[in-house]
Amino acid sequence: MKTVFINCSPKKRFCASAYFLFLQKMFVGGEKVSEQLRTPADHERILEQVTDAKSVVFCLPLYVDGIPSHVLRFMEKMEAYCRENSLQLNVYCIANNGFIEGKQNEPLMQIFENFCSRAGLFWGGGVGIGGGVMLNVTRIMFFVEIALLVLNTVLSAVNTGNFFPKDAWISFGENAALLLFFNLGVLFYLACMGSHISKGTHSGKKYTRILIPSFIFILFADIFFIIISFFEGGLFRSWLAKKEYTES
Amino acid sequence: MRVIIHDLDGKYEEMLASRCDKVLKADGKYAACQGCFGCWTKHPAECFMTDRLQQVCRLIGQTDELVIVTKNLYGEYSANVKNVLDRSIGTSTPFSNYRGGQMHHTLRYGKHDLWKVFVYGDITEQEKETFRYLAERNAINDGFERSQVVFLADLSELEEQL
Repeated sequence: MKTVFINCSPKKRFCASAYFLFLQKMFVGGEKVSEQLRTPADHERILEQVTDAKSVVFCLPLYVDGIPSHVLRFMEKMEAYCRENSLQLNVYCIANNGFIEGKQNEPLMQIFENFCSRAGLFWGGGVGIGGGVMLNVTRIMFFVEIALLVLNTVLSAVNTGNFFPKDAWISFGENAALLLFFNLGVLFYLACMGSHISKGTHSGKKYTRILIPSFIFILFADIFFIIISFFEGGLFRSWLAKKEYTES
Repeated sequence: MRVIIHDLDGKYEEMLASRCDKVLKADGKYAACQGCFGCWTKHPAECFMTDRLQQVCRLIGQTDELVIVTKNLYGEYSANVKNVLDRSIGTSTPFSNYRGGQMHHTLRYGKHDLWKVFVYGDITEQEKETFRYLAERNAINDGFERSQVVFLADLSELEEQL
C-alpha cells in the first residue's frame, strides 16, 4: 500500500505543512512517499507518483478562505490525469490556517470534496487545523528546549561533575509537556485519520486548533507580528497606513 | 469605487470597462503568492514581486463594490482569479480582531459594501453551495458588508446581469 504525502506549501523551509505531514506520517503504515508541490515543474513528477498509489494526502495552508492558486492549477491537471487513467485513489486533506479556529478551513474541505467528485476519486476526509503557524513554532521551541537541556547538562558536568542536573531536567519536562499539550488536538485527529488512511476508509471532516484560549492566542499573534515587522522594517514604513494604488 | 476582476477573453474587455472604474484581467501572467507575509511585515500593502499584482491589495482595499467574474473550479474561483485574491492579503493588517464571531485580521482600508461574484461554466448543486459559502466567508474576511453570487447558465447573460 503506497501513500503519497504532498506538501503544498509554497515555502521552502520551516512551513507548518511540513510539520503536520511529519506527524501524519507517524500514524500511517505501508510505503510512504513525500512530495513537494510549489511550481508547475513539480506536476509531472507528482502525477507519476500517484499513478500506483492507494492514497494521497494533501497538506496545505488556507489562502483567502480557499485553496492556494498554485494548488488549484495542479488539481486541474490531476483531475484530467485521474480520469484519463481511471485512477482510483483515496484523497485526504490536512489544512491549516493562521487564525485560531480550525473550522475556518471548511470551504477548503468542501472544495476538495467537489474535486474528488469531478475526478472520480474517493474523498477520505480531512483535518482542519487552527493556529497552524503557532503550532509550527511549538515544534521549533521543542528543539530549543532540547538545546537548552544539553547546554545545562554540559555546564553542570564541567562545573560540578554532575551529568544529571535535576532542575534542568524538571524544567525541560515541564516545558515539553506544555508544548505537547498545545498539540494534543492535532495529534489526536491526525492519529484517527492515520488509521483511516491505512485502512482506506472515510475519516470525515474534523476540526481542531492549538489548545490555548483565543484571547491569549491573539495577543501572542499580535506580539509576534510586531517583532517580525520591527526586524523586517515594515514597522517603520507606514505600517498600518491606507496606501494609495498607483498604476504600474 | 467599483472594480471588476475577471478571467474572460479580450472580447468582453470593452463592455466590462464601461461598467466599472477599474478592470483587472486575471490572465495568469503573474506569480503565485509565496506566503511570506512581507506585505504585512516588510513593505506594507505591497508585494515583493514586481509584477502586475504588486499593488493589487491597494486596489481591492479601496473598492466599495468588488465584482468577480470567474469560471467555476470545484466551487472555487478559477486558478487565475484565485491567484489575484491570494496576492491581495495586504488589504488587511497583521493585527487580529473578531468579526462574525471569529478571528480575522483588522482592515487596513476599513469596511466595503458588496463582494459580488458571477460564476460561469459547468457547475453542480454542491459546488453552488460551496461557492455561496466561500463568497460569504470572503466578504467577512475582507470586511465587505454583504456578498452575492450569481450563477450564469451562459456567458451571454453577463452583460444584462452586470
